[in-house]
Amino acid sequence: MEDGLELAPTVEGPYSKIKFSRKRLTPWLFVAPCLIIILLVTIFPTIYSLGLSFTRWEIALPDKPFIGLGNYIQLFQDSRFTHSILVTAIVVVVGVSVELALGFGLAQTLVAEMRGKRIIVAALLLPVMVMPVVVGYTWRLLWDAQYGPINQIIGWIIGRPFHYTWLAKPPTAIFAILVTEIWQWTPFMFLVFLSGLSTLDPELFEAADIDGASGWEKFYHLTIPLMRPILIVAVLIRGLDALKFFDIIFTLTGGGPGNSTETISFYIYQTGYQFFRLGYGAAASFVLLIALVIILTYLLKLFRATSE
Amino acid sequence: MNTKNVKTFGILFIISLLLMSLAAQCAGSAEPQVVEKVVTVEVEKEVEVEKIVTVEVEKEVEVEKIVTKEVEKEVMVGNFSSASRAVEEAKQYAGTTLNVVWEAGLQSQDPLTMGPQWEALTGIKINVIELSYNDIYSNQLQDHLTGGGSYDVITFSPLWLIDFVNAGVVEPLNPYIEKYMNPADLEDYLPVYGAEGYARLGDTWYGLPDDGDVFVLYYRKDLFEDPDNMAEFKAEYGYDLAPPKTWQEFDDIGNFFTNKYAPDLYGGAIQRLEGQVYSFWYGPFSGNGGQFFDPDTMEPLINSDVGVQTLTEMVNQNKWMPPGVEKWGFVEVLSAWMDGQLAMVITWPPIGRWSAGYGATVEQLAWVPSTKVAGKVGYVPPPGRPTLAGGFSLGISPDSKNKEAAYLFIQWMNSPEISLQRVMLPYALRDPFRLSHFESPLYASLWPDAPEYLETLKEGALKGQFELGIPGAREYAEAVDNAATAAMAGTDPQEALDTAAQRWADITERLGLEQQKENYRLWLEGPWNKPGPEVELP
Repeated sequence: MEDGLELAPTVEGPYSKIKFSRKRLTPWLFVAPCLIIILLVTIFPTIYSLGLSFTRWEIALPDKPFIGLGNYIQLFQDSRFTHSILVTAIVVVVGVSVELALGFGLAQTLVAEMRGKRIIVAALLLPVMVMPVVVGYTWRLLWDAQYGPINQIIGWIIGRPFHYTWLAKPPTAIFAILVTEIWQWTPFMFLVFLSGLSTLDPELFEAADIDGASGWEKFYHLTIPLMRPILIVAVLIRGLDALKFFDIIFTLTGGGPGNSTETISFYIYQTGYQFFRLGYGAAASFVLLIALVIILTYLLKLFRATSE
Repeated sequence: MNTKNVKTFGILFIISLLLMSLAAQCAGSAEPQVVEKVVTVEVEKEVEVEKIVTVEVEKEVEVEKIVTKEVEKEVMVGNFSSASRAVEEAKQYAGTTLNVVWEAGLQSQDPLTMGPQWEALTGIKINVIELSYNDIYSNQLQDHLTGGGSYDVITFSPLWLIDFVNAGVVEPLNPYIEKYMNPADLEDYLPVYGAEGYARLGDTWYGLPDDGDVFVLYYRKDLFEDPDNMAEFKAEYGYDLAPPKTWQEFDDIGNFFTNKYAPDLYGGAIQRLEGQVYSFWYGPFSGNGGQFFDPDTMEPLINSDVGVQTLTEMVNQNKWMPPGVEKWGFVEVLSAWMDGQLAMVITWPPIGRWSAGYGATVEQLAWVPSTKVAGKVGYVPPPGRPTLAGGFSLGISPDSKNKEAAYLFIQWMNSPEISLQRVMLPYALRDPFRLSHFESPLYASLWPDAPEYLETLKEGALKGQFELGIPGAREYAEAVDNAATAAMAGTDPQEALDTAAQRWADITERLGLEQQKENYRLWLEGPWNKPGPEVELP
């Protein structure tokens, strides 16, 4: 001890070994609680449910035999599951595309300074702040055949009472779901694009102006390429979210009429938590997971290529 | 975001919430509120009504006190009271808390009212865990499968009984019944609720039947007895206007009233919402002579001519029902009926009590629209066989650490004297299920038409049809539900039922053909399980 400071030992030997292993151990001790939690709540259940997906686990059956890929094979022969893929694809492709177009259009319009911009931006963000379940129940009232404001407004326009049951017919039920979904999530796209557009270098656009570029040319040759990474990230986030689309289906149509508006997530919920076919439900979840991983990988690849 | 943005955003958020609630109010109201004049007389009338209401509430509180005393005097089946016995035995468990699962909402008002009484008598606290109808099934199963032991008292519908027994979610009650219950109490259940498949399988009781759910047809006596309506109906259809005895008559009467009064009043409404509509198919299908399966081969027969006829009838009825009825659940039917917009409805028993104005002043029913049809309502069983839809039994969890105390609590709740108090609670949803309930002069005195109401519930139940209750019951029901909503959306009923029949066949095959055949054979032993135009009593 010198001036109250402890000197590190300089001699080689067992003491330094202890110190070395302590040095290696310390960071692990710090991350251990986090790792344990992750193992318990993420990795263990994932492995467990993967195991489950290879068994015939049914509440009504006393035995839970191992059936290999039986559940996976059955899934792709199950017309209800394949239909749920189709509905999910419609929501992802149509929903996200419209949100992308509307969000981008709104952002492009509102990127310039204008009177009342703050109020408009704040108002546009409100739908994202509302819980999807609340959105679902609110829109359920809006689409109501007898007392819904949508029918009321159409009635005013056409000059006679209008009582269409939007949620009871497959094509209009899908349409209603898409409108609800687009209403809620377009503002998210708008916000992301607005922040992206705000960061673009105005000098590039001034230079284009000097070169005599038209508005469309500036948009196509400057805005789009510069915004591409942001566009991909926004589509990635919304696409992955839309693949798990559940709340609005649950509250708006309950998957009906028939099974016409069931998404993959809703089908998994029905199978796993309503009918307690846990093996089959687990297999369906892994198919969804694989789909998510494939799409994610593709989009990330695209993102990297764009960035480079 | 700077402070100004936050403020703007906050203000807009509040404004939008207000607008949303306004929109919800507008959308939920039956008709636009038009304030024509503010008349002083009206205000005076309202003040007068308020005074009457206060007096009524005071009366009801008084009645409640009298009822409790009277019930104790009136009902005691056999030589000792199961309720008193339960209380005496339960005192040794004073200080414990029982977790009791109950359906959320109005249903839970029952244990929330009775729990403190039980606590005062025994020192056992009741913690009511409210769950939605579907979650009752899933959460209780999950809890057992994960060894949770979170619940002491569990609740189940007859539809789930077999699944719960197979999964070991319910404890057999026979040892407790033999030890504590007055055997005469078991004989006091209306036979249909004490029958095979409701709360017991063979001789083993897995629950105590605790609810008498059966569909009732409510009709507007004032409209049916109106001389003009009677004459016009007879001229048009060639027979007298009277409560329908067949589905054809139901259709004729519905059409007649809609054609005459719509949009102010429609012929009727039935719940068509997904998740509820299947219940309204089982009874009519059975009453029309349908069979669920061929018992020898387990081939589904729901897509037979009878099945298609039943579903077609349902689809056709929608044409004279209010617009959007395809998305109507219990609350929509209730609101329109209480508001006087319907000539007939088929639904569960509580609507009959509320439309008579019983319990109209209690706080728990403040959300129920005031009845405009009190004194005008007639009751009959629906044509054919009414569905014995839903219903609850009380059981105990095998994972409970307080099984004995849990059993004593359900014995007390279910005893003739306490259960009579419970079925008379104006705000609870439990319906009469014991013979002593149906014979109770006290119940019969609750409103002028109560004797007719009780008689109808009993008559309907005794010719009722239970929903299919073999393993996989929820899946079978869901397939029918999907077929019904698809047909109502425009799919050909035959095609919709073919799809459902294929699903039934797949479910049966998955769960084991021979096993399901045996389960179905056993289930058919219950007289109210067996489909067909008439109940075949042994």
